[in-house]
Amino acid sequence: MEGALKLWIVILAVGALNYASRLSFIAFFARRTMSPLLARALRYVPAAMLAALIVPMIITPAGGPLPLNPKIPAAIMAGVVAWHTKSSLKTMIAGMVALWILQAILARIG
Amino acid sequence: MRHVLAAPDFRDGFLEMLPACVGLIPFGLVCGVGAAAAGADFAAAMGMSAIIFSGAAQILASQLLAAGAPIAVVVLTCAVLGLRFLMYSAAMAPALSVLSARWQRTIAFLLTDQAFAASIRKFDAGRDPRRGALHFAGGGSALWATWQVDNAVGYFAGNVIPASWSLDFTVPLCFLALLAPALKSVPTIVAAAVAGVAVLALEALPMRLNLVVAGVIGIVAGTFVETLRERWKAR
Repeated sequence: MEGALKLWIVILAVGALNYASRLSFIAFFARRTMSPLLARALRYVPAAMLAALIVPMIITPAGGPLPLNPKIPAAIMAGVVAWHTKSSLKTMIAGMVALWILQAILARIG
Repeated sequence: MRHVLAAPDFRDGFLEMLPACVGLIPFGLVCGVGAAAAGADFAAAMGMSAIIFSGAAQILASQLLAAGAPIAVVVLTCAVLGLRFLMYSAAMAPALSVLSARWQRTIAFLLTDQAFAASIRKFDAGRDPRRGALHFAGGGSALWATWQVDNAVGYFAGNVIPASWSLDFTVPLCFLALLAPALKSVPTIVAAAVAGVAVLALEALPMRLNLVVAGVIGIVAGTFVETLRERWKAR
């Protein structure tokens, strides 16, 4: 299918589903309470989904895992900064600077 | 419309959100860069930021599309990621029940991780929910407006910045900034760890289905561990 059309279908479908989730209990199920099991499961959506997204981006950069993958220590460093500061800007600076330094070192010794 | 924008609560909400908007600039830029990398034209990139209005979903959709995943998988994966909005919606619902349908629809559209975190306390018992709604709408509007600017700038920057800068690494960093502070309880850590291992173990799944399947496995694992711990404590 043509790329632009595919993209717009995704935008509208994801936009509609996200809006439906946002509106759900505010409007559609306003008189119902959420089941305790569903409420419990939803609390783990961000952690589980974010971890599932992050790990492949760090561990498998095209061509499979490398023993000297600078993204792994850089990500750990960024994770520590994120945990302490809760700041996305500081996390990003820490992670990118760590990656650039490690890449420069690897380029020297490699 | 004009009386809403002039209301002190709306203005307070708008101004109080500005520091958070500054913090989101890198995330918004990365979303714009991602849309450009996925081959979106400017209108589609802005459509994503204006309509989807969720950084994680925008990046995820861009990456999956760039990887050639079919529409159904992209939509399914983003929908599971968006299930967290059910939780926010349920938490906000009691305070909003007295408001008009129009207000409810407006607030729902502006419901994001940041807006929820910043404004849920404003709906505390004893306060006029209309004032809480105005405050929320102010903050949500600030987020929406600055988000569009961040995405637009990122879209153009993405076509200029050289690949040797490894700017793609900012995507997992954005997600790490959201994930790491959330890892405060044992079940949450289990949910993240299980999902992280599962996504690698299931890499052979076609059409990048491993993301959504691993996410669901992690959600089940976290729920299971919390239930187990509760039973254990009750004994």
